[in-house]
Amino acid sequence: MISMIWNTHARAAIACALLCALPGAAAAQDTDPFGGAITATDVSDQVKRPAGRRAQEDEIESRYRKILAAWAGGQTERAAIDLMALETSVVSDEDPGTRKRLLNAEQAVIHEVGASNLETLVPIAMLHHEVYRRYLAQGARGHAVVLGHARGMTRDLAILYREQSGSEGAALVSSRILTSLGGMLQQAAQQLPAADMFQLAAEMDPRNTAALLGLATVFEKNARYEPAVETLRSLLAADPNHAEGKLRLAVNLHRLEKTPEALTLLQGLAADQKVDDWVAALAAQELADIQREKGKLDAARAVLEAALQRFPNDPRFYVQLASVLDRSGQTRTAQDIMEKLPLIEPRTPETAARFLYNTVRPETFQEARRFLDENAQSRLPVLAQALDAPNKASVAVGVAG
Amino acid sequence: MRRLRNRAGWVLALLLAAAGAAQAAVSVQIVSPVAGQPVFGKTEVQVAVSSTESVTSVEVFVNGKLVGTATQAPWVVTFEAGDQNIKREIKAVVHGASGATASNAVLIQPVQIDDQLDLRLQQLFVTVTRGQARTLDLGEGDFKIYDNGKRQDIITFGRGELPLTAVLLLDTSESMQGERIKYARRGATNFLDGLKNVDEASVVMFSDRLLRATPFVADKKVLAKALEETEATGGTAVNDFLYMSLKLLEPRVGRRVVILLSDGADVHSVVPMSEVLWKARTGQAMIYWIQLDENKHKSYVSSWRSVEENDEEYKTLNKAVEESGGRIEKIANAAELEGAFQAILQELREQYVLGYYPSDIKKDGRWHEVKVDVQRGGVRARTRDGYLDF
Repeated sequence: MISMIWNTHARAAIACALLCALPGAAAAQDTDPFGGAITATDVSDQVKRPAGRRAQEDEIESRYRKILAAWAGGQTERAAIDLMALETSVVSDEDPGTRKRLLNAEQAVIHEVGASNLETLVPIAMLHHEVYRRYLAQGARGHAVVLGHARGMTRDLAILYREQSGSEGAALVSSRILTSLGGMLQQAAQQLPAADMFQLAAEMDPRNTAALLGLATVFEKNARYEPAVETLRSLLAADPNHAEGKLRLAVNLHRLEKTPEALTLLQGLAADQKVDDWVAALAAQELADIQREKGKLDAARAVLEAALQRFPNDPRFYVQLASVLDRSGQTRTAQDIMEKLPLIEPRTPETAARFLYNTVRPETFQEARRFLDENAQSRLPVLAQALDAPNKASVAVGVAG
Repeated sequence: MRRLRNRAGWVLALLLAAAGAAQAAVSVQIVSPVAGQPVFGKTEVQVAVSSTESVTSVEVFVNGKLVGTATQAPWVVTFEAGDQNIKREIKAVVHGASGATASNAVLIQPVQIDDQLDLRLQQLFVTVTRGQARTLDLGEGDFKIYDNGKRQDIITFGRGELPLTAVLLLDTSESMQGERIKYARRGATNFLDGLKNVDEASVVMFSDRLLRATPFVADKKVLAKALEETEATGGTAVNDFLYMSLKLLEPRVGRRVVILLSDGADVHSVVPMSEVLWKARTGQAMIYWIQLDENKHKSYVSSWRSVEENDEEYKTLNKAVEESGGRIEKIANAAELEGAFQAILQELREQYVLGYYPSDIKKDGRWHEVKVDVQRGGVRARTRDGYLDF
C-alpha cells in the first residue's frame, strides 16, 4: 500500500491564513463539522471497530465499490444517483458521527484502488464532485452533513492526488478540481469555503486565472480591497489581456484611492471594441462616475455620450447621463434624456452589466470543468482496471458546466 | 522734478521685486481643480510644488477658510464642497523650511443654469396630526411658514382632496417572488382604484433593470395591466430608478409623490444615493417608502458595496424620504402591504397645501430650511425640511 498521508494540519494552516483574515472566518472555522480527511492511519481503525459496525462498513464498502465500477464503466447517471442514495442512507444530520462510518468505508476502497494506481483518484474525485453538484442543486435541507462530506471528499482527493503525485500535471488537474469546487461554493453564496478552494488552487497552479479571479471576487465582496488588488495583479501577470481582471483591478484601485492607475485601465477598456460588452459598459460607467466625483462633469458627459452610441439600450447610461447633466445645470436636456428611458426594451439578466459584476458567472469556471472532464474520462480505464471491472466508458463524465 | 521722483520710485520698486524673486525658494501651482471648473461634494485639490529647499507643508484655503494641510508629497488636500453652487476661491500656500512661502489661487465660478426653473412659488404639502389622527379643520390663519428663519406670507391655501401625480415605484426583484409580489400587486391596485379622475399616475416596476414603466395617465386600466404583466426577477437598483422617478416628476405641476416599495437594499445602482438626495432636495416631490425587511441592508454585501457602504446608502435614503415631507411605512410581512398602500393614500387625501413666494431667492444652490408652525395646541405638522435654491 502506498503511503497516503495528507498533512491535515498544514491544510488547516493554509486555510486559516486566508480565512482568518476575512470577517466571520473564526466562526466559520469553529463550526465546520466536516473536519475529517482521508489519511492512511485511518485504515488501521478497521481492526479496532466492533464487529457489528465493521459489518456495516463492509456493506458500505461493497456498495461503494460497485458504484465506482459503474462510474468507471460509463454509467455516470446511475453511479451518481446510487452514491447519493448510499450516502444519505448512512449519514444522518442528527448524528454527524455517522459521517465517520461512511468516510471509513469509502476511504478503505480509495486506498486500495489508489495503491494500485494513483491516477484513479482523479475520476473518483470527479464522482464526488458530481455528487456535490447534485446535492447543491437539491438544496442542503436535511442533507447538510452529506453535502459537506461530498465537498470534503472532492477537496481531499484533489489535494491527495497532488501531494502523492508531485507532478506538474497533477498540480494542474488538482488545481482545476478545487477551482470548480470553489466556483460551485461561490454560486451557493458560501464565500469563505470558496476562498479556501481558490487559494489552494492558485497555490497549486499560479497561472490558474479562474481561481485567481474567484479569489479576488471573494476578497472584493468582503471589502478586502488590498488583497483583491494583489490577487488581480497576479491574474494579469498570468493573462495580461484578461478584461474582467482589468476592470475589477480598476474598481478596487479606485477604492484604495489609486485613481490615476484606475483611470488608465478604465479608459483602455471603455475604448476597446474587442472586450465583452458588459465589461466595456461597466468601464464607461465607472470612468464617468470617477469624473463626476472629481467634479469633471464635461469629461463624465463625454464618456457617457460615447457609451450611449455603443450601448443605446442600456438604461444605466440614461440615468447616469441625466444625473450628470442635472449637476451641470442642464436640467432640460437631462429631462429629455430621462424621458427616453421608459421606452427602452427591458433587458435580460444575462446582459445587465452591473448584475453580471455581482454574480458568479458559470463561464468563469467552464474551462476548469472541461479540463476535468477530459482528464477524468481518460483515467476511467485505469479505475476500471483497479477495481477489476470491465471498462465500457464511452461517454463523457457527466459533470455539468 | 516730480516726474523724475516718480520714475525713481518705479525703478526702486522693480529692483525690490527682482531681489525678492531671486530669494524666493518655493513656488506653487494648483493643478486641479482648474479655474472655471464647477466643484461639488468631495473635492480633491492637487498642487504642484517646486522648491530648492525642503517643503514643510501646503495649506489649502477655500474662500479664506483653511480646509486642509498636506505635509508630504503628493500635495493633495481633500475637502467637502457640499451642494452649494457658489463662487469659490481656492488658494494653496506652500511653506518652505526656511520660512519662505508662496501661493497660488484659482477661481471657481458657479455653474451657469441654462434652464429657467420657476421655483419662486414654493408649495408645501403638510400633514397635521392631533395625537394619532390627522386633522383637516385648520384654516390658513392657523399656519405660519418660515424660510431660513424668516416668516413668509402664505399666498395659496388648500386642503383635503388635492390633485396629485404619483409614481408607484415597485421593487420587483427576485426577493419579491411569491406572496410578496401578489400582495404588492393587490395593494398597488387598490391604491390606483382610490385615485380621483384628476389624479395621474405612472407604474414603474424595477429590479436591477427597468421592467415596466407606464406614462403618466389617469386610466386605471392601463396602470393595472402593467402591474399584472411583470414577474419578479433580478437584483435591485433602488437609487437609479428613484432618481428616474423624481426626474420624471420634475416638469409636472402640483402635488407630486413617489411611493416606493422596497427593502432598500440597493445592489446594482450606478447613481449613488447622495445624488438621489440632491435630486429630492432640488424638487418638490414627496417620497413615501413602504419598507420591507427593515434590517436586510445590515447584513448585505455585494461586489459594489460593503456592509458599511450599504448602511450609509440606506441612511441617506431614509434622509431623502424624511426631508421630502413623506414618511416611511414599515411593514413586518407581505400581508401588511395592502394596508400600507391604503394608509398612504388616506394620508394624501388629508393634507394641506400652502404656497408662498420665498423672500430670499438667490438661485445660488443654497439650502433653505423650511418650517411650518401651527397656531393650535396639541397638533403636529409635518412637511418637507427644505429645498435647494436653484
